Parts: sequence; C-alpha cells; structure tokens
Amino acid sequence: MNKIVAMAAKDIQILFRDKLGFFFTVFFPLMMAIFFGAMFANLSRGPASIPVALVDEDRTAGSQRFVTRLEAAGGLALDQIPQEQALDQVRRGQTGVMVTLTPGFGAALDNPFRITPEVELTVDPTQFAAAGMVRGILLEAAGAELQALMSDTERIQATNDQNRRLIEQFAPPSPARDDFLTFIDLSARVPALVGQLGLDGAPTDAVSGGFGPPLEIGQTEVQAEQRGPSNSYATSFGQAMLWILIGGSVSFSMSIAIERSRGTLMRLLVAPITTRHLLAAKGLACLTTTLVTSTALITLGITVFGVTPTSYPLLALALLCGSICFCGIMMALSVIGKTEQAAAGVGWGLALPFSMLGGGMVPLFLMPEWMQRIANISPMKWTLIAYEGAIWRGFTLNEMLVPCAVLVGIGVVAFTAGASRLRWDTG
Amino acid sequence: MLLFDHVSKSFGDLRAVDDLSFELEAGEVFGLLGPNGAGKTTAINMAVGLLEPDEGVVRFAGKTFDRDPREAENRQALGLAPQSIALYEEISSADNLRFFGRLHGLKGSDLEERVAACLDFADLTDVRKKAVSKYSGGMKRRLNLAVAIIHDPDLVLLDEPTVGVDPQSRNAIFDRVEQLRDDGKQIVYTTHYMEEAQRLCDRVAIMDRGRLMALDTVRALIEAHGGPGKLAVQTGDKESIHDTTDPLGTLAELQERETVEHFQYRPPDLETVFLNLTGRALRD
Repeated sequence: MNKIVAMAAKDIQILFRDKLGFFFTVFFPLMMAIFFGAMFANLSRGPASIPVALVDEDRTAGSQRFVTRLEAAGGLALDQIPQEQALDQVRRGQTGVMVTLTPGFGAALDNPFRITPEVELTVDPTQFAAAGMVRGILLEAAGAELQALMSDTERIQATNDQNRRLIEQFAPPSPARDDFLTFIDLSARVPALVGQLGLDGAPTDAVSGGFGPPLEIGQTEVQAEQRGPSNSYATSFGQAMLWILIGGSVSFSMSIAIERSRGTLMRLLVAPITTRHLLAAKGLACLTTTLVTSTALITLGITVFGVTPTSYPLLALALLCGSICFCGIMMALSVIGKTEQAAAGVGWGLALPFSMLGGGMVPLFLMPEWMQRIANISPMKWTLIAYEGAIWRGFTLNEMLVPCAVLVGIGVVAFTAGASRLRWDTG
Repeated sequence: MLLFDHVSKSFGDLRAVDDLSFELEAGEVFGLLGPNGAGKTTAINMAVGLLEPDEGVVRFAGKTFDRDPREAENRQALGLAPQSIALYEEISSADNLRFFGRLHGLKGSDLEERVAACLDFADLTDVRKKAVSKYSGGMKRRLNLAVAIIHDPDLVLLDEPTVGVDPQSRNAIFDRVEQLRDDGKQIVYTTHYMEEAQRLCDRVAIMDRGRLMALDTVRALIEAHGGPGKLAVQTGDKESIHDTTDPLGTLAELQERETVEHFQYRPPDLETVFLNLTGRALRD
C-alpha cells in the first residue's frame, strides 16, 4: 500500500510542479465555472435583450400599441428603422432578427375574429436561437394584446358592431349568418364571464380560449431573400473553415515548441539566418497550410454541396485576412507554451473560451452584456463575419474592410508580440 | 580563428563568464573543460552568436578577428554540434543534411556533393534514406556531428559530442574529430571526459565559476598542475601508496629496505590537473 501511495503522491507532486498542468487542473475549470456561471446567472434573470430591427409598415395606432407592448415586455432591444436599413443590418450580421409588422397588422390586432395578425421575421441563419426567443416574446405580446381586447367591453363591443355591420352588409341571410352573429353577441360577454370564472393570472390561451394562435409568424432567412437560393452548408462551411484556422494555428504554435525541445531551434538560430527569416518561414508555413486547406474545403463546398459564394474575390480576401490573423495568433501561442504539450494546452485552452465568446458555440444574447463586449475582441467572431460576408451575406468591398482590418490588426499585433518574445532559450 | 577578449557575461547576480580571454591557433583542437556551472556552455553560446557578451568581444575568422558571430552572415564559417541531438527525426539523414545545407546557402550539385561527403563522414550512406528515428544512439550522434559540417565550416564547435554513446561509437567519433583536424578545421571541444581531452586536444582551457583557471597543452598543464604521481607498492602482505615525481628513485629506495613484490606507477594526468584546479567539492 505504501508503494502505491508513494507513486500516487509522486504523480500529484509532479502535476502541481507543472505550472500548465496545474493551470488546466485548477484554474481552467475555474474559468469555465465562472464563464458558465455568469451565463446561467444571466439566463435565470432572463438573457440580455436581443437586438431586433423593427419595421412598422402598418404605421397605425394598433401597430404602435403592439410596439409599445413589446418594449414594455422586455427581452428585446427594438430599433425601429426603415426596411432597407433593417435588412442591411441583418445581412451584415449586426442584428440577428428583423420583425416586420405588415400593412393591416393594426386592424387585425383590433379585430382578431376576422383575421389573425401577421408579422414577418427575417432571420440571420446563424441566429435561429435568437429568432426562437423573439417568436416567443411576440406571441406573448400578441396574447396579452388579445387578452386586453377581450377584457375591454367597450373595445370588443365596438369590434363586434363593426363585424355585425360588415356581415349584415355582405353576407346573405342564412342559418350560418345567424349563428355567427349570435356568437359575436356572446363574445361581448366574455370579459364578464372571465371575471365570474376567476381566471385572473391564468395563461393567456386559457383566457382567450377558442381563438387559436394570437399571431401568425412567417420567417425567411436573409440570404434567401437577398441572394437567391442557398443551403445550410453556406453557414456550416464558413464555420468549418474557422476551425481550420484554429487547428492550424495551434498545430504550428507547437512546431516552434517542438523545435525548441528537440534542440533544432538552437541549430536554426546558429545558422546564417536571422530571427526574421525564421519567423517568416514559420508564418509562411502556417499561412500556406491554412490557406490551402481552407480553399480546398470551400471548393468542396462549392462543387459538391452547392455553396454559392456571393463574391469570389472577397472570399479570397477573407481567407487571406483570416489566415494572417491566425498566423499571428500562432506566433503568440508559440512563445507562451515552451513545450509542445504546453503550446497545445495553451492553444486549445484559449480557443475554447474565445470560440464561445465569438458566438460560435453559445448564442451571444445568452451572455451577460460584459461578456458580449469582450466578444468583440474574439478573432473567431470577426473571421466568421468576413467568411459569411463573402459566402452568403453579400458584403461589398467597403463592408468587408472592417472585419478584414480587424483580423489583420489582431494578426500583426499578436505576431509582433510573439516574435519579440521569441528567444533561442532552449529551456 | 576564434578570439575571446576579456569577455564577461552575467545572468542576474550570477557571473557565468568572468573576464575570459583566449585565442585559438591555426589547425588545433581546443578543449574547453570545467565542472558543471563553469561557464563552458555560456562561452560556446557567445562563440556562436546566441548570446551577447556584457563586456569584452568575441570575434572570429582571419588574422584580424573582425567578424562578430552575432551577425547572421558571419556564422557561415561556424559549425555547431549541440550537446543534445538536434535533428529532425521524422525525415532521413540525407534530408536533414540537405535542409541544413540549404540554410547555409548550398544548392544544386554542390549541395548533393556535400550531402554525400557528410553521409560518408558519418558512415551513414547505406541508411541515408531511413528516418532518423530508426537510428541507434551512435548513428544519431554521428549525424549530429555531420550536420555541423555540412557547409564545410572553418571552425567547428563540439559540445560534449560523445555523451551517451557506446565505446565503439565514441571511438568512431574520435576518428571523425581527428579527421576534421587533419582537414585543417579548428575545433572547440567541450567534454567532461578527461581521457577524451587528453587524447584529442592540442591545448586545453580549464574553467571554473566562469573564470579561466589554466590554459596550455596537456603536457604543460600536467607538468604545472599535475603534482606527483602515485606509486603503489606491495611488500609481503603489505600495500602502500607513495606520492612521487621520481618513481624509479622512490622504488630503488624502497627496495633497499624491503623486497618489493609488485608495484604500479600512475603518473599525473589531466584528471589530476582538473581536480587540483577545481577542487573535489560537488558542483550543482
């Protein structure tokens, strides 16, 4: 038993002597705990407001009343803007969902017996989770609106009078017409009946029972509306190319650590080459590999899976800038981890939270606002924007410049920081 | 070929090399000896330009010693075989040699000629296409040495080139070092094995705690610092050891007093010199 304890104690001692092992055993789980804890704490309070571009094409008292109700409900950060601007925001990935209140929405809201009010969602295909949340909030608001209508004797009486006049004017006398008019008369008594039933606080559909969904919600994906038919591979291939960059940068960051641990780094630095040569070679290898594999992947997407990039030149630009960014990150990672295990650990250890913050794994709206602000420095986020901008968001050159500039900027800063710390130090 | 002129280097409070001066002479094997922490590796790293001296200058090449190893292009004249085997084990010995040859500006037929010559030098021609990971320790050591000379440098620095090899491989490496010397190379050789230095080195510098303790030919060092030899004598069932600089005289004196049945004389050697200069205290 003593021998077993001695060997176990030795392993534990070695683990805690290994700073990186200690980090991954203790601090990394702690980081994850804080990350998910903050996120779930946020969820328990209700997620941060989801940015929504709202287009009111109806422009009636009814539609504005609905907007006011939505604002009061919380959960949505509404931005009322013209349709073209809203569509542009969704296409560029600045807003996940556009809600359009179509003409006649207000009238339908005021008179749900005749027609169900309709809204149209235009959704960024990477934001389906946010769209689902928006749907729920819209339905809740519409239900509340219906409940308010049914509770307001004067409004429902006015609606019934209007419906009665229309039916009497246009429908010829028949038993069906008589039955429907009787139903309308009875519906005016619903508020009183609800009061007698003592249903206060019951779910909306219980109160408005028998009327079906209070809102019809149509949904389209932004790229289909803007750029003709595409498919889900348009988004999945962009994300796959991002993982090529992540994997490539981690692998190449290990290559410097491997050179260091096997002693060949010393040999390289003694050769008649400068450190700049060495760094340029490492950068070129990383750049070439990530560019070639990304190009091969998207070529497969185009030829086999029907992905149709909106701009090939911009796609080439996005691929180049993404690769530059991650080559810089590779250099920074390579000096953080002195051994190959350390370099790999640091690489994947950073890739995971940054992927989460980039919105690739967890929808951003689920995170607290401070996390969403941090997400703006995630290279994963900007890479995805650039890739999607060229593949299906239909970016113009001007629109592409921002993510590309951010990517190149991150790449240059990371490469410079890493290169300045690269020493021949073999320890 | 290589000049250290009052060179010092510190790491924090530790003075790793302290006022080190020496100059290599043409066509010699120069031994750099010292216990752990003596400053040998720091000196080597300054010689190849990996470290910059805090004080003094390191220069090499030509009679004027005008080239700074910190300048990349000047390192063309240097070849280093590091103490640890520094090779790409996934590729073959020929490909390792080609890669390092290209780094030193070789190409075309010149490169292939040098690769062939170095494979022959390391006795690896038959296995030139095999991945280095399949080689024995001795083969890797020989290749480690061959890579250092792929560009035919004038000055070769060998940092403990026989660590961890069997006697056959060690002898093979000795032969290669002597071959390099015969080819006119200047060699700086660091080792912990005194018999290696005694066999190979024309001159030896002994360092301790960053300082140069002695520098001369092996014979001169022994004469100056070796002290007396050890004469072991057996008379009857008695054994005794006598320090002496005149073993025959001492033996004759002993014979006059009693019958010497057996004797053995051990003259002072480089190890004696080393221990006399650096002491017997353990170094960390």
